[in-house]
Amino acid sequence: MSPVSATYWGLSGYVIFWVLFAVAFGLFVRRLFFLFRLMRQGKDENRFDNIGQRIRMMVVEVVPQWCNLKTVTRKDLAGLGHALMFWGFSFFLVSYIIFIGLAGGFGLAHVIEGTAFEKVFLTILDVAGVAVTIAILWAAFRRYIIRPERLEPSAEAAIILCTVFALMVLNVCVVGFNYALLDVQSSWPPIGAALAAWLTSAGVSQGALDAGYKISWWLHYVLIIGFMVYIPYSKHLHILTSPANVFFRSLGPKMAPQPINFEEAETFGVSQINEFTWKDLLDLYSCAECGRCHVNCPAQLSGKVLSPRETILSLKEHLLETGVAKPEAGADASAESSAKQMIGDVVTEDAIWDCTTCGACQEICPVGVEHVRKMIDLRRNLVLMQSRMPETVQLMLRNMQTKGHPWAGVQSMRLRGDWTGGLDLKILGEGGNDHADTLLWVGCTGALVDRNVQVTTSLVTVLDAAGVEFGVLGGEEACCGDPARRVGYEIQFQTIAEQNIEVFKSYGIKRIITACPHCYNALKNEYPKFGADFEVVHYTRLVADLIGKGTLNPAGGWDSAVTYHDPCYLGRYNEEYAAPRQILQAIPGANIREMERSQSTSLCCGGGGGHMWMEEKTGRKINEIRIEDVTSTGAETVVTSCPYCLQMLEEGIERKQLKSSLRAMDLIELVEKAIN
Amino acid sequence: MHIIVCVKQIPDPEIPSAKFKIDPATKKVVPPAGVPPVISVFDERAVEAACQLKDKNGAKITVISMGQGKVADVVKHALSMGADDGITLQDSAFENLDSYGTAYVLSKAIQKIGEYDLVLCGRQAADWDSGQVGSILAEMLGIPVVTIARNIQAADGGLRVERVLKDGYEVVQAPMPCLVTVSNEVGLPRLPTGMGIITATRKKIPAWTAQDIEIDPAQVAPEGAHTEIVKLSVPIRDVQCEIVTGKDAGEAAVELAVRLRAANII
Repeated sequence: MSPVSATYWGLSGYVIFWVLFAVAFGLFVRRLFFLFRLMRQGKDENRFDNIGQRIRMMVVEVVPQWCNLKTVTRKDLAGLGHALMFWGFSFFLVSYIIFIGLAGGFGLAHVIEGTAFEKVFLTILDVAGVAVTIAILWAAFRRYIIRPERLEPSAEAAIILCTVFALMVLNVCVVGFNYALLDVQSSWPPIGAALAAWLTSAGVSQGALDAGYKISWWLHYVLIIGFMVYIPYSKHLHILTSPANVFFRSLGPKMAPQPINFEEAETFGVSQINEFTWKDLLDLYSCAECGRCHVNCPAQLSGKVLSPRETILSLKEHLLETGVAKPEAGADASAESSAKQMIGDVVTEDAIWDCTTCGACQEICPVGVEHVRKMIDLRRNLVLMQSRMPETVQLMLRNMQTKGHPWAGVQSMRLRGDWTGGLDLKILGEGGNDHADTLLWVGCTGALVDRNVQVTTSLVTVLDAAGVEFGVLGGEEACCGDPARRVGYEIQFQTIAEQNIEVFKSYGIKRIITACPHCYNALKNEYPKFGADFEVVHYTRLVADLIGKGTLNPAGGWDSAVTYHDPCYLGRYNEEYAAPRQILQAIPGANIREMERSQSTSLCCGGGGGHMWMEEKTGRKINEIRIEDVTSTGAETVVTSCPYCLQMLEEGIERKQLKSSLRAMDLIELVEKAIN
Repeated sequence: MHIIVCVKQIPDPEIPSAKFKIDPATKKVVPPAGVPPVISVFDERAVEAACQLKDKNGAKITVISMGQGKVADVVKHALSMGADDGITLQDSAFENLDSYGTAYVLSKAIQKIGEYDLVLCGRQAADWDSGQVGSILAEMLGIPVVTIARNIQAADGGLRVERVLKDGYEVVQAPMPCLVTVSNEVGLPRLPTGMGIITATRKKIPAWTAQDIEIDPAQVAPEGAHTEIVKLSVPIRDVQCEIVTGKDAGEAAVELAVRLRAANII
């Protein structure tokens, strides 16, 4: 007989059961409704396309816990614990609905009592309970004893861990007392039955057993509904929101900011919480505070202000404080009701400018939070509305505006077309060249900075050796606009993109080979929104294919240990991890040693997001940390395929005074040497 | 307050000098092709100074520029920084004017604009570096001039101007209307905001001709020029690098100091 059918102090157990449930459910729904209304204050954004693909993505990520398991490394096994807890707790959720909701609340306990279904399910729960308990103890041990850097040992976490642990214990108690009371002779479920056998053998009285059963049953119930209420008030909200967040994840190019419609927009970027889109706000609800972003962020690793986790949590707190705007008070009301300025008080300008847009946070995030575009939206407001930015950023943008490229100083002593001197090239717009199917897009850095011009020359040599026909724009080539976009100066990016697309069309270009991953990302992923329809290929993919086909034969080899540094805009942004490694593998003698942080968890060189032109004032230099990664592999050559990375790595080598033992090269330079 | 800012379009001063060519026949500078001309850097600071005054005290800013071809671009740039109106002065009669001729044309345009409280110019144009136009213009307009300002504040119905000196600055009180030439110390020119660029794109920039501003042809005729270019050449940049060594950094530094002293540099 279920304790719910008994009478307590003259009150029917059913009444107590449903009144408690109504109160808890009411609180739960009220909170969810509040959160939903808050979220709906965000700007519109269409994330309802490709529903089928989205459902698949969600199922694949959430049910088998790929979202967490993909983050598991030898050093960080926590994702495994989360998976155990998720799977285990999923069974409990089902059991709460069947055994407590249906069977208890509707007095249908007798329908399943003593059935095989009950035995099997309770056995599964026993096993799941063990899994969850292990995960809980592990989690508690990690949080409070090991204290990994990425976790804040919060009270909230303690409440959740204790509650779940108590639920697991009470689950066993309920079965144990019940079986002992009814004298059920069974060895299934094993732990519950073992407790029952022990209670019986200990000679506990019938009355005590009855009281034990009732107390554990009701305590169990109260904890469950209490937990339900607690979820939307805590970081455990992610249980409800993160599957949705994965469902609504961007299907387009990763980390791409939304274009601003300058014809219609009245304000640019985000300075108030409700200027984010609803998906941005859903991101805030989804954060589970796991801190993976925190420990993978180059800014954080090098001791700067920015922490992606703290940014998301501060924004969440700000959103909850700001509350729902009263409809009659107009759009600005929500901002006025909070005395805090979002930029400045909630997220500092320093933090906003610390971001290298490397995307490590977003890549590692198990719940699909999109950090990078938020940072860019905040920058957009600072730059486009307030003209507030570090002086170095302003100088860079001025150079782009006046000179058409971001470089100053010695670099500006060269002219854009100078690199073509002495090379046999088809320069479009010169000598009657007015058409090319394939364009080699060199990029500002590859055209203007001495060290990178060497790389460009190598690329031309390799392409010529492979018989690839291409034209170049020489002096007519402009900037791709990426530096402007990443620092938030969207208007300049759009102007540049439109002009470049016109130039491509005027020469009938169909395919573009890029040397720089930043140009590659802009041209391939971001230009199509402005009318581009060209095939864009980074040289690593092209050269890997040419080697694969046998057109290029790097038989000359390379005699040293090399490691490959993944440029963020080629790797994380475009998932091109394979091509550079295929090339290296094809070069005989190149002894490849992977860094611990490589591929999707590669560490930024420190030059992305406009940081190529910014001063690194606080903390350590990111490129020094990266050079330490390199030296720990024992490699003598660090190879990359990005002009910024090459510069940053060389600077890091110089700083660490390792010039005699380590050198940085572009992959194409290695190829050039190997084919000759 | 109505501020008129005179700006000039020049070849990008960061183009390395070796890239320039000289046309000996016309004694003219031929900048390399494909590098877009820019607003003279000091003139841009003048626009910045005007915008600072506008931010603080409220003002209307009118930008004028005399030039050919894409001269409207520099006016547009000033508008996107925060100026309110722009005018270009374009006429074949305005080509190849010297400082005097330029100041004359600008003075006629300013007289046509009429009411104003302050005229701002860059301390000099970053192409010829003559630094004459501001002073001549003030003379022609019959107003006081303060040159090489590093800070301009409105004070007591006039202006309080900090003027750059060799080793400091002096503070000058000036009545209005007056003319001030602005130095780079005034601060980095602001980057146009998104809204600034959009507003500037939508603004119409009238082009005034010699006739519009009642130019006396004799004043801008080649024979009326007050300067004559005798010879024009591209400077030859010759760098010789020598590494000063020593058994340690300290000794090398001492050796370097001795050499610099010998060369009368320190």
